[in-house]
Amino acid sequence: MKLNVKRLLAATAFGALATAAAAEYPERPINMVIPYGAGGATDISARTIAEPLGEAVGKPLVMVNVTGAGGATGSVNVQNATPDGYTMLFARVGSHSVNPAMKATLPYTLDDFRFVTVYEINPVACAVSPSSGIESMEDLIAKVNEGGVTYSSSGVGSLLHLAAVMVLKEYGVEDPLNQATHIPQKGGGAAATAVLNGTATFLCTNSSALANFVANNQLVPILVTTPDPVPGFDAPTAADEGKPALHQLVGWTGIAGPDDIPDDVAEKWGAWMATATQDQGFLEKMTTRGSVIELMDPAQANEFIETQYNTFRKLVDELGMRIEG
Amino acid sequence: MNEKTLQMRLGLGACLMALFLVFVAIPNWVAAPSNVPNIILSPLFWPYTLSAFTGLVGLGLIATSMRLPVTDETLNDPIDDLGPARMRMIGIAVIMLVSMFLFPRLGMVWTCMLAFLATAFLVKTRHPVTAVICAILIPLILYAFFAHVAGVAVPQGNFVRLP
Amino acid sequence: MSFIDSIAAGLTLVGNIESFLALALGVIIGVIGGAIPGMSATMAVALTLPFTFAMQPITGILLLLGVYKGGIFGGSIPAILIKTPGTPASSATILDGFPMAEKGEAGRALGMALWASCTADLISNLSLILFAGWLASFALSFGPPEFFTLILFSLTIIAGVSGDSLLRGALSALLGLLLATIGLDLVYGTNRFTFGDPNMMGGLNFIAVLIGLFAIPEVIAMVWHPTAHLGKTRQLGSSWVSFADYKKSFKSIVRGSFIGVFLGSIPGIGAAPAAFLSYSEARRKSPDKENFGKGEVEGVAASEAGNNGVAGATLIPLLALGVPGDVITAIIIGAFMIHGLQPGPMMFVMNTSIIYGLFIGLIVSSVFLFIFGSLAIRGFKYVADVPKRILVPAVLILCVYGVFAVNNNIFDIGVMFAMGWVGYLMMRCHIPAAPFLIAFILGPLLEDNFRQSMLMSGSDPAVLIRGPITWFFWGATALTVFAIIRAGIRATKGLKSSTHEVDLSSE
Repeated sequence: MKLNVKRLLAATAFGALATAAAAEYPERPINMVIPYGAGGATDISARTIAEPLGEAVGKPLVMVNVTGAGGATGSVNVQNATPDGYTMLFARVGSHSVNPAMKATLPYTLDDFRFVTVYEINPVACAVSPSSGIESMEDLIAKVNEGGVTYSSSGVGSLLHLAAVMVLKEYGVEDPLNQATHIPQKGGGAAATAVLNGTATFLCTNSSALANFVANNQLVPILVTTPDPVPGFDAPTAADEGKPALHQLVGWTGIAGPDDIPDDVAEKWGAWMATATQDQGFLEKMTTRGSVIELMDPAQANEFIETQYNTFRKLVDELGMRIEG
Repeated sequence: MNEKTLQMRLGLGACLMALFLVFVAIPNWVAAPSNVPNIILSPLFWPYTLSAFTGLVGLGLIATSMRLPVTDETLNDPIDDLGPARMRMIGIAVIMLVSMFLFPRLGMVWTCMLAFLATAFLVKTRHPVTAVICAILIPLILYAFFAHVAGVAVPQGNFVRLP
Repeated sequence: MSFIDSIAAGLTLVGNIESFLALALGVIIGVIGGAIPGMSATMAVALTLPFTFAMQPITGILLLLGVYKGGIFGGSIPAILIKTPGTPASSATILDGFPMAEKGEAGRALGMALWASCTADLISNLSLILFAGWLASFALSFGPPEFFTLILFSLTIIAGVSGDSLLRGALSALLGLLLATIGLDLVYGTNRFTFGDPNMMGGLNFIAVLIGLFAIPEVIAMVWHPTAHLGKTRQLGSSWVSFADYKKSFKSIVRGSFIGVFLGSIPGIGAAPAAFLSYSEARRKSPDKENFGKGEVEGVAASEAGNNGVAGATLIPLLALGVPGDVITAIIIGAFMIHGLQPGPMMFVMNTSIIYGLFIGLIVSSVFLFIFGSLAIRGFKYVADVPKRILVPAVLILCVYGVFAVNNNIFDIGVMFAMGWVGYLMMRCHIPAAPFLIAFILGPLLEDNFRQSMLMSGSDPAVLIRGPITWFFWGATALTVFAIIRAGIRATKGLKSSTHEVDLSSE
């Protein structure tokens, strides 16, 4: 509360100064749209970076949660915003690579956004319930071939949905859509619960969403998709298993604006992010949650997302998963 | 309007709505993939089920309305000024529509001040001075609270921006 | 470590001034946040979260729990005074709270809400402490088929809140169910009634629908007939809840608390259905059945007991399983994780002192809720004395800000306005709004769980009767439906005989 009063005073003072001096970006608070709900992975990541980032920017960052339709509602909000750099988006793997790859009806494409950075990579892990008797990917695949295996996700077109399919496909399951059943849930928490109570056999999701259950021995990890092991997850990596194609399967968080934001705005963001990601407190908080901090400049970010999108798109087209309706 | 007529009209309305849903709305505005393995899993199943129930309830309402006695008892309190009342209803509808148009353009605070004033005078308030003071203060206080304490990005519009 | 040791360890952890200050501050923030429509307990908790990062884990979590508890009670204040639920959980409180305020008994209603809330809160906390382990394992046995039958049973609440015509209640519920189909399909992700609008794809915002349905019709009704309220007392007056009221409603409060504990311990249901279920049960059992919906103090007591009973119990799946039961606990779990605590079975072994510290804090929170709740009522009661034609535009503006704040989307304000007209038409046609709301909440859950059951069983309907829990709820549903039909037949017979008498006398 105190902090906000201070911020208010500071904002008023700055406002007066800014109008007197030549207007230079940013001259007022910047709205940062988070397309997912409070308490979720994107929200926590965004609010953690907001602290050092706000200092670097020098103006308050107003965190705006606009939820709905798997991140589409918030993304469209930014897509249609004035491209002046005062409305930016925390883009996420779900909203900006899985969704565009899977949904033909999505009201936006990747070209509608200009990425200024990707700053965080989340490993993906697959987990099963200890009572299932499954101890490794081999066991799981054997079960899939027997039939009756199900996997949960946070909804159609979510990372969790695609991840499970992609992992099964990589492990040689010919037709993952019909050999295993997808049971969509409302949200990531519900997806983990579904595996916990036996509704679904396994799920593949960001390691941060599973860390708690793994630490409590409620879920057993059987695979992580990164080349390096994830602390706290006693499971083979995709590299150990000889599946390098799965390295593409990671979560990420980045910042984007509408596609026609001016160049100088994009450059400023690059500089701010470089400062913000150096912050010790930020690094510590993020890495304890299992994230890998990897700052990309706009060109790298675009390439990274494009590659991931194309990988996903290829898989989706191959299996006929694209949602047309 | 007495109980009997109301029940009858509601019944007819529900039946018409069910027909509209089944023949127009659901076929046109609910998309379903072509390869649904089982009919009960289709996205269409639930809307059709609900439409059928709506039709049944409609028939039920019609049936009960037949058995209700004809009375002179009206359901809603009568009103003295029917003509002006209708104008007022149009008025509040216009206030809502214009507000929706102005929120992103003029900003929420200024629009709310106008909407407050318009509504207060539409209901013929007995305290015009208080109404004006409240119309100015309440949106400002709410703005200060939501924007600076709750950290909500209240729409500011293109003209006068508040700190 | 023995029980006494655990409690002692907990005491040393919370036995300091910061913990109690945090708890008190939390309750105050919660009551105020809950009392502002649209702000709701959820947002109050989300806003407080960043401030807890710098605190000791236990202090921070107690602060959040205080906000949560305060928020759930705070929501009843505007529900009673201006017919706008401050938080979705308090929608059931409107049914009798607002008519009481109209009769000039706002003080009595608010007082009862507070007493019922505190009692339920205490029961809920005790249940958490005593039955956490047992209820948690019970909650884990709830898969989609069990959920489906539970929700089917919960839908029978509609009969209890339909007012004088069951058919009109059913019509209202169907409208709510139909409206809830808007959005993306769960299983296939296709569009349903979205017209390609991205704002519709996420479904209509629940709070926008809720406020539109209850608060805006009052504004429109005022415009239609600006002088209708003149001559009616609306002052808070000297009316205050009496011990006799409390004694009379005590059974309903206890029943409501346990309904709340039960529904709260199962993740994914939330406080609003608990409040409605408690309300309809209280109505069913009450000798003053006729008076429900017209300003019955027991109705307020039952709904508030139902929603506060949930507040402690949602911590059962959170602490014992690490599973958040609703949006608020999802945020609170974030606070645990930021402090490096991992809720789940291991926490009862590894961090016993924190668990017991929390338990002690929770018990104290009930006391704080009583103190600050009384103060809040004293502060807010003047709302009842504001001239109604100033109050109405103010409510309109407050709703606009509140609904916008929920999801930062102007579209939601439009939804609220549109629902306002729907609500007004329903009011004119004497269609009750409560079934609409219940159906809007439960409808998607019913459909989703049905389809999830079908998916997990490969479309074999036998999964819906797979265990004792499903049998129990099928049985309960059958019994309730039977009772409703019997009551309906009796009512029509009564109506017939009375018409018969009219016919005779007219001859």
